[in-house]
Amino acid sequence: MLSVIIVCIPAFNYVIYDFTDNSFPKINGQNLLGNPFSFPNVWKTVPYNAGILLFMPAILIITLFTNEYSYRTHRQNIIDGWSRARFIYIKITEVFLLCIFVTFIAVLTCLYFGFITRTPMQPKAGWQEYRFILYFFVEMLDYSLIALFFAMLIRRSGLAMGIFFLYMIIEQFVVSLGRNKFKVTWVDYLPEEVSDRLIPQPFTRRMVSPADASLWEKHVPLYLSISVLYIVIYIFIVSWRFRKADL
Amino acid sequence: MTPVLSLKSISKTYGRIQALKGVSFDVPPGSVFGILGPNGSGKTTLLGVVMDVLASSGGSYSWFGNPPSEKQRREIGTLLETPNFYHYLSAQHNLEISAAIKHKPADDIERVLKLVRLYERKDSKFQTFSLGMKQRLAIASCLIGNPSVLVFDEPTNGLDPSGIAEIRELIIELAAAGKTIILASHLLAEVEKVCTHVAILQQGELIKSGDVKSALSQEEWIELGSAEMEKLKAILDRLSGVNKIISSGNHFQVYFKSPSPDPAWLNSHCFEQGIALNYLQPRKESLESAFIELTNNVSN
Repeated sequence: MLSVIIVCIPAFNYVIYDFTDNSFPKINGQNLLGNPFSFPNVWKTVPYNAGILLFMPAILIITLFTNEYSYRTHRQNIIDGWSRARFIYIKITEVFLLCIFVTFIAVLTCLYFGFITRTPMQPKAGWQEYRFILYFFVEMLDYSLIALFFAMLIRRSGLAMGIFFLYMIIEQFVVSLGRNKFKVTWVDYLPEEVSDRLIPQPFTRRMVSPADASLWEKHVPLYLSISVLYIVIYIFIVSWRFRKADL
Repeated sequence: MTPVLSLKSISKTYGRIQALKGVSFDVPPGSVFGILGPNGSGKTTLLGVVMDVLASSGGSYSWFGNPPSEKQRREIGTLLETPNFYHYLSAQHNLEISAAIKHKPADDIERVLKLVRLYERKDSKFQTFSLGMKQRLAIASCLIGNPSVLVFDEPTNGLDPSGIAEIRELIIELAAAGKTIILASHLLAEVEKVCTHVAILQQGELIKSGDVKSALSQEEWIELGSAEMEKLKAILDRLSGVNKIISSGNHFQVYFKSPSPDPAWLNSHCFEQGIALNYLQPRKESLESAFIELTNNVSN
């Protein structure tokens, strides 16, 4: 599964790259969408595309954690002499390590596309917008810990994955309905949506008004802190429950 | 002496079901302590609580006189309910994980695998093992680092008759080496052969605990038969200290107020009275019937 993720992030980005590069009319040799895969835009584009694939590390986490339940090794590890706290902190650490690793893959992907799309006129390899890598990491942690939470609560891998996807879809549905029909803003701060908002869709960048762009810019610290707050809450709930429940 | 394990009114409820009702007993060091009870009586729940995989609803327990901690569990070899290993890893690799968690040296793995006769299969994946092999691997895992206390929950589950005999031998050897063994089982014959102490559970309640003799008082009687049953009956009726006499076809079952007389004396006594015995057999109630009697009394 990990190798699938390693392959999929660059491959999926390549598909999008190919699509954006070849599917739109070029005006004066310039793509209608600008150059989403060249520096510095690539720092937004690749994390955005990779963000669509965040269900993949989530599946890996659900599989790894529910495996412990189905083999009952979570009990055996405690019986053999780990404390409950130790067990669950190791699991949370695993989630962090996985997220760091996938972020690293995303960085490599950014650099790859940045370099292949470079033209002599462009600035040198730019790190200008690398903050999106951090946002991507936060977004992934958010999704991954939701996956861990469902895995712990439900214990069975198939069902946990089903509920995870169901939640993803329902939240998106509530967000669309709330934002466009009922004109409420609290839906922006739902667990997955708030971290999605850290990386806005990059392809129609040129059509976004400067007012909207600066509005987003103003909201970034809020989105970031609420995302981190969710992460802290998940860690707290998951570890509290594992320390108290029957295993 | 500080008990190895001490339980003080441990309770456990699952929703409306009360699985354990204020169970208290002490496991003395060096004993082979049997926890007996029919299926669903709370044996595994009790062991789950003291191994911290289940949260008790009330009461407390201590290991070696200290409040429970994960460090103590490293010094206890435990097989709880089923062998729990990573299916996709080899026997060797699984035991390496156990050894690492227990802070025991990995070079002990060879010894314990040879002890349960799985050394030749050490590189096979756990999922390829038969039920009996899985059980033996779990026992090997308990023995890593030579712990002073062993907790076995139904250790002979899934084993064939020779496997059962081997485990019994192993338990006797471990007990002889001075280890404390806590053994949960519904197989009385198993317990009868190895245990020094018992606790009997029924529907989550502790019916009795203590050393085997006092907890499970087994009735004794003597069976006598002769060609002249009438005459024998008359002799037995005149005997002092007789509790009851039951006629059962070609012999009498004679229950004495304890202790029973020496059969040799009984034989010569009958002979002196002019009767030759053709059958003389001292009997003891089986643990099984003592146990059934005990658990029936409570449920009635």
